Parts: sequence; structure tokens; C-alpha cells
Amino acid sequence: MDQFFGYVRPDGSAGIRNYLLILSGTVYANSTAERVANTIEGAIAITHPLGRCQVKPDLRTTFKTLVGMGKNPNVGGVVVIDHFREEGCTAEEIAHEISQTGKPVEVVNIRHAGGAIAATAEATRKAMLIKRQISRLRREPVPISNLLFGLNCGTSDTTSGLGSNPSLGFCSDKIIAQGGRSILAEVTELMGAEDYIRERAVTPEVGERIVAAIQHFERRALESGEDIRGSQPTGDNIVGGLSSIEEKSLGAYQKSGSATIMDLIDYAEAPAKDPGLYVMYTPGHGSESITGIAAAGAQVLVFSTGGGHVINHPIMPTIRITSNVNSYQAMQDTLELDLSDIFNGDLSLEAAGDLIYDEVLETCNGKLTKSEILKEYTGFAIHRTGVSI
Amino acid sequence: MGKKVYVIKPEDNTGTVISDNVRAGQSIEVRIGDRTELIKIQSDIPYGHKIAVRDIKKGEQILKYGLSIGTATEDIQQGAHVHIHNMESNRGRGDRYKSEKEKEVSQ
Repeated sequence: MDQFFGYVRPDGSAGIRNYLLILSGTVYANSTAERVANTIEGAIAITHPLGRCQVKPDLRTTFKTLVGMGKNPNVGGVVVIDHFREEGCTAEEIAHEISQTGKPVEVVNIRHAGGAIAATAEATRKAMLIKRQISRLRREPVPISNLLFGLNCGTSDTTSGLGSNPSLGFCSDKIIAQGGRSILAEVTELMGAEDYIRERAVTPEVGERIVAAIQHFERRALESGEDIRGSQPTGDNIVGGLSSIEEKSLGAYQKSGSATIMDLIDYAEAPAKDPGLYVMYTPGHGSESITGIAAAGAQVLVFSTGGGHVINHPIMPTIRITSNVNSYQAMQDTLELDLSDIFNGDLSLEAAGDLIYDEVLETCNGKLTKSEILKEYTGFAIHRTGVSI
Repeated sequence: MGKKVYVIKPEDNTGTVISDNVRAGQSIEVRIGDRTELIKIQSDIPYGHKIAVRDIKKGEQILKYGLSIGTATEDIQQGAHVHIHNMESNRGRGDRYKSEKEKEVSQ
């Protein structure tokens, strides 16, 4: 079995990064969180517009997602900042959940600290002390079975379904064959792939639940009175040559490889420990989708793109691959791998899968993605279904 | 020289252009399963877009990955561009749903 060098956490999980996370519990703590992260070496701020005035299911999703950020193995310690205490999604509640992992977690409340300047000082001091503590950790060998691997695609064109996605499927299969797990998300992009899903699910019941989730998403779109074709495929997909949601789906589905589908998991929910492929209920929206995957505990994600995409999740390094030679040449600043040799016959899909796998292992061992180096953290967004209240 | 049009399954009636240089009037060799066919290109086709690798009748399913990705809205000639102007999705059709609802209400 292959291995990578990771940071082993008190709960037995293994991170490929050792981030100090400055987590904003609510929109009103965003500036303070950013000030602290800008001051502390290697700290990452996660900010967002949510955590207040949301309908209950959405507030739960926000809570679960923020907790998932802190629990993610790539995070060594956390400072949660909030502006006030309100039931449902407070910094204390978030920190309490994260602390179950055994990681150091601190809370700062802007109101209780005495305003923005005092809260910034308090949070910066707490962050510094956690940073001192987690900076002592060293990478150790960890079996690949410890990996939770994310699969996503975006700005797809027809090369995605023909080249980079099926190659990514081979990479995912290789990880699962060694006891690892993968997450396939973007339920909207499974429309048209239902028959395959039924064949691959571990039990007929799991297959039917996933098909029902696809139909549920489709119904939500229908009931909005919209023709889903107006948004799926997206405008950039259409320019890239995709003509229908079914075509996009069948291309997107190629990245799932051939492993058994073990279960359907909710947005931001951690899968069971059994090796295999898990389907997560997320929309096709890239940032919302990969945030759900990161909140489930995935350490690394491969993002397959046709037209080129700059997405990178703040705490889950995101390797961008393409098999469109034009996109690679235009976007070398942000794309890690060019697999376009697939189309001139020089590279089999399986060999391309090996190239992706090697890049994943190197990234797990510490090689930075281009977007990490450029601090391109464009990939955090929490999925919501209801109105603001 | 690499392929210019990529056909995934032998039963597919479309292939994908994987070249920046597919122009109207060219005749291109396309591999479909075990056979190779010389197809005359009807218009300039952008990279990543589809062409018909055989004649497709209006109402026929458009096939890629060996599966239906939509329905032809007009007769499509071999070598012609296949895209949103001459095919439509069968899924997520809120427009049809809306008119069906209106029909239900008027009944």
C-alpha cells in the first residue's frame, strides 16, 4: 500500500496541511477574523455572509459546515470568532463540536471582549499560542487508506467527459483499491446517469435513495418554474460545446470511476469508514460543492476543468487538471496538469489516471498547488435552500 | 497527426471535435468503433463541439457515451454541427412543466 506524509491528529485522522484556522461564526465577525489571519503566519481565515437570520435547516447546514471546517484533518487548531451569542450557531457551540477531535480550539466574542480592537488583540494572542503549539507537529508516514478524496469538475467542456474525467475516475479507483474513500458530489449533474448508479450501488436501497435525491433536485428546479436549461448546462459549458444537462451529466459522471457506491451522504456530512465511493447531496455550484466535500473531512480534491478554472478551497488543496490543450496553455498559472496527450493517442486514460494519482500523492506530501501559492482561496461557500429571514 | 473528431461508442451518432482546425468543406477521417469513415464537414466547428457522424432525423435521440443526451429538433445531416440550435434536452424541462400545469388548471 502507498503512503503519504501527514500530520496525525488526536482523533487518528491525518492532515496534509497544518493550518491554523480563524473561523468567523457570523458575517459580523468577518473583519476581525481577517485581521487576525493577516497577522499570524500561515493562518487561514474563513469568512461568509451566513450564521444569522436563516431558516432552521439552513442554519443547521451553516453550523455543520463551519464545524466541518474545524474538524477537517488539514486544520491543526482553530480560533472561532463571533460578534454575539445567539442560539443555533454560536462560536461556543461550534468550538465545542470541533474540540471533540482533541485539537486546540479557542473562542473570542467581540461583544464580550469589548469591541473590535480588543477582540482582535485577544484573538491574535490566542491564535499565536495555538500556532506555537501546532508548529511543533511533524509529518509522519500514513497509509493511503487514511485519505478521503474529493472529486469535482467545473467549467466543463466536452474534453472533460472524454479525457480528464475518466482519467480522474482511474485515480479514484486506485485510492479506493488501497482502502481509501472518495466523494462524488454535484447531484444535479447525475441527471441521466441513473441507470449506472443503480448498477453500481452497494445495495438496491442505496441506489434508489440516490436516484430519489437526483429527482428531488430536479423537482426543486422544476418547481421554481424555470427551465433548467437556462442554467444547466451553464453559459460557459455551452460555449465549450455541451448541449444538454444529460450530456454534461454523463461526462461529469465519468470521474466517479468504477468503484462501488457505498452510500448517499448529506451536505457536509462525513461518510462511514468503509472504503468506496460516496455520493454527497450538493448542487453543481463549484464552491458550494467543494465546501460540502471539505466539511466532510476530505484532505485533497481534484478539480477537472475544460475551459479552465481558478477554484481552490481554503483548507482543502485543490488540484486542477484539464485535457483541453488550449485551456492549459491559456491558464498555466492555475492548472496543475495537462492531459491533452490523451487525444493524440500518446496517453491512455489509465496512464493519465496515474499522473493524477502521482500529483495527488505529492500534494499530500506537501507540494503546494499553484493556487495555494497565489493565495487564491475562491472555493468557500455554504449551500442554502431557503430564504433569509 | 492526431485525430480531429473523437467518437466514444460505436453506436453514437455524434462525435466531438478535438481540433482547432475543422472547417466547412473539409473531408475528415473519423474512427467509429472498428471502421473509419470519411465525413464531409458542413460548417466551421469550434473545438469541443459535436458533429453528426451519420444523418439524424428530427425527433431521433442524439447519442453520445452510447446514451441519449437529448432529441433532434430538426433533420441533421452527416458532418453538420450538433448543438443547442438543433437538439434539446429531455430533462429538467421547467418550461414543459409550466405549460402542463397550465393545461391542468384550464381542464
